[in-house]
Amino acid sequence: MARQKAQAPPSTNLQPRTLILDNGADTIKGGFSSHQDQDNTSSADQCHIIPNSISHSTRDRRTYIASQLSTCLDFGELAIRHPVENGYIVNWESQKAIWEYEFFDDGAKARGLWCEPRGTNLILTEQSSAPIAVQRQADEMVMEEFGFGGYARVVGATLSAFASSPFDGAALEAGVPAECMLVIDAGYSHTTVTPLLHGKVLQSACRRLDIGGKTLTNQLKDLISTRQFELQKEDWMANQIKEDVCFVSQDFDSDLERVWRGGMKDRRKIDHSIVVDYVLPDYEEIKRGFARPHDPSSAARKRQLGIGMPREDLVVIANERFSVPELLFTPSDIGMQSEGLVGTILQSQNPLPVGLWQASLANVLVVGGTSKLPGFVERLESELRSRLSDDIVLRVAHADDPIKHAWTGGQRLAQDETALKQVIVTREEYLENGDGWMRRKFLGKSGG
Amino acid sequence: MALRFRTPHIEELPIAQTKQAPGFAWVTVPSAVEKPTADLTNKKRGTRFAAQGQTDEQREAHSVRQQEKINVHIRELNSDNARAGSVIVPKKEDGSAAGRGKTTNTRKILSSMKHFSHYLDDEIAEFGLTGKVDGMDRLTETGLVPAMPMMSTAQRASKTPLVRRVQQEHSNGGSPRPATPIGAPATASQVDDQDDGLDGTAPFPSQADIDALLNAPPLLYNASRSAPPPTSAPPARVFCEICGHWGRVRCLKCGARTCSVDCKTIHVADRCLKFYA
Repeated sequence: MARQKAQAPPSTNLQPRTLILDNGADTIKGGFSSHQDQDNTSSADQCHIIPNSISHSTRDRRTYIASQLSTCLDFGELAIRHPVENGYIVNWESQKAIWEYEFFDDGAKARGLWCEPRGTNLILTEQSSAPIAVQRQADEMVMEEFGFGGYARVVGATLSAFASSPFDGAALEAGVPAECMLVIDAGYSHTTVTPLLHGKVLQSACRRLDIGGKTLTNQLKDLISTRQFELQKEDWMANQIKEDVCFVSQDFDSDLERVWRGGMKDRRKIDHSIVVDYVLPDYEEIKRGFARPHDPSSAARKRQLGIGMPREDLVVIANERFSVPELLFTPSDIGMQSEGLVGTILQSQNPLPVGLWQASLANVLVVGGTSKLPGFVERLESELRSRLSDDIVLRVAHADDPIKHAWTGGQRLAQDETALKQVIVTREEYLENGDGWMRRKFLGKSGG
Repeated sequence: MALRFRTPHIEELPIAQTKQAPGFAWVTVPSAVEKPTADLTNKKRGTRFAAQGQTDEQREAHSVRQQEKINVHIRELNSDNARAGSVIVPKKEDGSAAGRGKTTNTRKILSSMKHFSHYLDDEIAEFGLTGKVDGMDRLTETGLVPAMPMMSTAQRASKTPLVRRVQQEHSNGGSPRPATPIGAPATASQVDDQDDGLDGTAPFPSQADIDALLNAPPLLYNASRSAPPPTSAPPARVFCEICGHWGRVRCLKCGARTCSVDCKTIHVADRCLKFYA
């Protein structure tokens, strides 16, 4: 890139490659894209999912940074530290260590993710309504500490507008956002509802529900610990159990009845199709927990005690399977003073003019790791449909890959030079105009 | 209770009933389950105990304490494991100064031990004091705050979200405000009115309105939180402590809910807080 003299206007030349980081609380979705590629294919293969955590195992006495976790053999009593809290990067010490290990150290070359910050643009995602101090810190770290050649800090949901839309048949050109969209991001820290118009956030209508994947995991951990087996130190195991057996019930009341043992005078027959036996991993014989249908016979209990065959730790999971994800739709079950996800969506539409409601509700896109729970999108759609009047058309779509979707949007945005120029602030512009100007530009206000 | 001497105000805290009573009471709960044919709410027992004991103030204090306990529990659910603080970030081998940060600002950032709650409190304080954040306005629950320093606490950004703001004094654009919130059942009179727009044929707002919406500043963190359900909504569901079914039986000693007498027996044996009382 040509370095301009100080007297000339700041260079608006973009660096050739763009690193897109969807910096989530649970995982970072990272990969490269370039506006100089001749073929504008959007492929999610280039997106790497990196655990955004530093973990320490007291048993192995080893510390795992980010993707080193895939080499871990013993996840027992793993202490996990996340740099991202509530969706914002709060602990830069660990985040810097993770970024350096993944992208800037020599070891990253083997994984194909190495880059030189000065010659790369960075698109970094954040959540809306960020405290200013958090944004300032992120800007400072990116520009001063790492020294990227170009930088854009965007709200994560806006990138989803640039990805190929599941609503229109035709694929969008690179860099052209979908016209109107309501993005529901069921993430790890919380669930956000973000209405978008031409890829820009309608600020007054953003809403957030403080229930996310982490809440569900902790609730499941609590329930199993009080009822059957002590799991308080086993975050990783509880997360796996949640991903393996939990689902969203379409009819909570009847499902709860089906798994009730009954009262003293009112014995019921438990419907064993829902009940599941989960074998817990002990990381010596059994490396990975698994579920199997419940076996109520006494042979199963003998197996648990280890009579005649190796011991296995068994947890019987019945109504926890669907009562834990039910928190997303009824947070008052644990006493949280919030409406459920559907109520939050309706709340977000209230400050908007009536003419926009139909446009938003016809383009509801669900992304996020927690949305992969079986039955989530169906339940959301049916409950939303029942709360709306019949005249409003409702279309709810689930992203093909809910975790990588925002990243693929960033990839397509970075493939178009004009769109990229509008978002990115180059290093020269930053040095000339200062950080306050840059913050205002990211907010969408042009000019000093 | 005012005493003769100038002592601090003493308030009687609510305590559980310690009368001689059988161990459980059937409680009606709002569930969609078909209730058993016999009406199990014992009206005689109900009236006898309802009239005694707590005044309104004590009941409110009790429920405030309960809500605080619930809030602490929810904060725990939403936080990382306490052992996460014990994970030490490994230092680089070369131990160069680059590991500590290149400028004074970045060094400060890298060594800060703040959590998100600290940043949030700082922002709320700044907004409460000056009415602006970073020199720019922010949206609160009631719309755009006028760009004036706030000296009084009249518009202090509160931590509790307001109930759904249907009737807004301030509006962000000139578009017609809906008279009923979306999703509310339409009453007969509103069906006659033309301006609700629930029929989906309301005009798309003008470009000026859209620009105003897009250029609005972001919401404050607490303003974007989902509001509590309206008071007309059905009350919260209660579940059995032991097995997770509907909590229809209330332990008279400690108030915990279980689903049946079986579970209540287990509760009294293991988990009742009033074990020795």
